[in-house]
Order: sequence, then C-alpha cells, then structure tokens
Amino acid sequence: MIDRPVTEAEIQAYVDGRLSGEREEAVAAWLAERPDEAGRVHAYRVQRDALRSALASVAAEPVPPELDLRLRVRPERTGQSRAIAVAGMAALFVAGGGTGWALRDWSTPPNAGTAALAREAAASYSVYASDRERPVELAASDRQQLDDWFSQRLSRPVKAPDLHSAGLQLIGGRLVATGHGPAGLYLYEDSAGNRIALYVRPMETEGNDRMKSREEGSVRGWTWADDGLGCAVFGTAPGNRLHETADLVRAQLRAA
Amino acid sequence: MIATVQPLIPALRRYARALLRDRDDADDLVQDVLERATANWAGRRKGGTARAWLFAILHNLAMDRLRRRMRRGVDDPIDEVSEARLASPPQQEDGFGQRDVMALLGQLPDEQRSVLLLVGVEELSYAEAAAILDIPQGTVMSRLSRGRERLRRLMEEGVDGSARPYLRIVS
Repeated sequence: MIDRPVTEAEIQAYVDGRLSGEREEAVAAWLAERPDEAGRVHAYRVQRDALRSALASVAAEPVPPELDLRLRVRPERTGQSRAIAVAGMAALFVAGGGTGWALRDWSTPPNAGTAALAREAAASYSVYASDRERPVELAASDRQQLDDWFSQRLSRPVKAPDLHSAGLQLIGGRLVATGHGPAGLYLYEDSAGNRIALYVRPMETEGNDRMKSREEGSVRGWTWADDGLGCAVFGTAPGNRLHETADLVRAQLRAA
Repeated sequence: MIATVQPLIPALRRYARALLRDRDDADDLVQDVLERATANWAGRRKGGTARAWLFAILHNLAMDRLRRRMRRGVDDPIDEVSEARLASPPQQEDGFGQRDVMALLGQLPDEQRSVLLLVGVEELSYAEAAAILDIPQGTVMSRLSRGRERLRRLMEEGVDGSARPYLRIVS
C-alpha cells in the first residue's frame, strides 16, 4: 500500500479529513508505525476542535440588526413599514369606532404620492429598459414629437432633459398607463449600454416633494415632485450616479 | 444577493472576531464588508464562490485594520485575555479554556493564524483559502503546517511561554 512517500501536505490534509480514500488509508498505515507523528496529528485535531468550540458561540449569536441585510439594504423599507404602521392604526381607529379616513389628511396612503410613483417607475424600467428590441415607441430622432406627445397627454409642458454631461444619450420614450392616468417614460443609455429611465406624471397628492432615495427590488432610483409634476429617475447604476443624474434632471426641468 | 449573503454573516462575524478579538471592532468590520459587497455585487468575479469572495474582502480589510492598530500602538488585547485566563476556570475536556486557545492563536503571525482559521474553523477548501489570501495553494499548506506546529508547542508550553507550563495551570 505504501508505495508513495507521505508528504507533510498530506498529513495536514489527513488532519482535515480531505484525502482521497486510498491516500487516507496509506497515511493511516504510515502513522500507525510512527507514534510521534500520530501524536502530532492528534494534537492538531485537538487544537482545531478547540478553535471551533471557542468560536462557536460567535456564529451562534443572533445577527445584530445593523448587520442584517434584510433590514438594512433597503432604505425604502422605512417608508413601507410606516405605511404598514399607518394601515394598522387605521384598522384600530375603525375597530374603536373612530374614523380611519381621518388619517388621509395627515398621512399619504401607500398607493399614492411619490411612493406610488416610485413603484410605477421601477416597474416601467424593469419592463422596458431590458427590452433590447423595442424599448421605446418613439426614438430620440423624433424628440420634438415625443415632447409634444407627452406635453399633450400630461396636460403640461414636458421636455426631455439633455444628459450628455452625465454621459447619457436619449434613446427615446413611450407613454405608460398607470392607475393615476398616463405617464411619460424617457429612456437614456450610456456608452456601455446601461440604461436609465426618467419617468414623469402629474401628481394628485404630494405635488411638491423633496428628493427621496427609492429601492424597488433590484432597481434603485430617486423621486421628487415639483409644482405638481412627479419625477423619478431609475436604473441599476451603482453608487451616486443615479443621484447625480436625478439632480441634473431636476435642475433642467426647473429651469425649463 | 441577500439570499446568498445573509446566511454567511454568522461565519463572517466569526472570522472577523477571531482576527480582531474585539466584538465592536469586528462587527464594524463586517458592516464595512457588507457595504462593499452590496456595492460591488454585480462586478464580482464569477470564477470563485460568493463565500470566498466575501472572506477575501473581509480578510483584506481586517489586515488593514490590524496594520493601523500596530501603527497606533494600541495595546494588544491578548494581554488582557492572559490576565483573565487565570481567573476563568478551564472548560474544555481536553484541559484548556476557550479564552486560552484564542490567546495562544493570537501569538501566531497573522499569515499562519488566517490559514488555521479559514481551513480549520471556516472549513474552506485549500483552493478557496489560497484565493482569499492571494497565495499559491502550496503556501497555504506550508503555513498550515507551520501554524499548527507552532500552536501545538504554545499549547504545550503555556500562554506566554514562560515557566508556567500550560498543563500545570489547568491540572
């Protein structure tokens, strides 16, 4: 059996139980004739087990909230949990004989406002930005026609911002149906083919809202509302890129 | 991403704690790792496992922190543990306390300590450990061998290698 010499690396692998069956037997036979080496292997296993048990309690601890990805990756969760809390309170009001509807005066229901805008924008981005064949109905070459169309359907002047300074080129746009009426979707693309959506529609509530970070599944973005027009910039770009793009868009729309 | 990374967090915390020997510092490090992993998730190399990728980020950041600690000349917590050792009774059936073995491990060079932890405790493959440490697999094996032998001698001698033999304290 022992036709090949046992190496130090094999002894280590033997300690870890990672040898093939044949070599495992060979090393065991080799160790059986060498009590000093066998003692060394035993000591290594004892120390490994000691390390494991010394550290076992750390792995068994519950993950602290600040390290729990399910709680921390999505800042938007705070908005959602607030909406759920409000819904819960509304239920209490009704159960207590009060009027739950009074809550509408001081808290935006989850299906309205820029939170709803964010969900629509994310859904539109997911469906259309990933479409390599026909992402838009009107291409950037018909930019004027696109702007006129959106302006007419949204009942207010709308104009595609120029985002060249952010490395983004307009590829076109399309009208999107929502529960709040029509919305306009502009799609932009960078030189690497990454797409960013600008989504606009008139707001029934929260006609003026500060810029807010949003996350809807794997799609991220920013929403705000100015003077009754709700806007959302969405995409999958990392870091501050979406925020910078959103700032650029807002500045141009305000200046228009 | 969450489905892949979340189950690995306890192991990441364990490796961070073993290297830094300080709960807050270690959790702060893991937080740092999770932030980087989240930001770079799409760009990670597809070759290796997500586990090895995360441990590599963790290992590199931990080494940065240990180097900074050295420069600042922060007291090594090993000393405190050595003191505490005398006050805490041994718990292992093999005759040594859990704090003891961690204190002894702390006396090993970082390069040996990392290998012992990644292979022995985290049960990563030799190839994964090599990728994490950015060294050839043969070097993993030699560090494993030297680290284990050194720890064995330390365990036989006692925590500080002084005239207090380890076994005499616990017997």
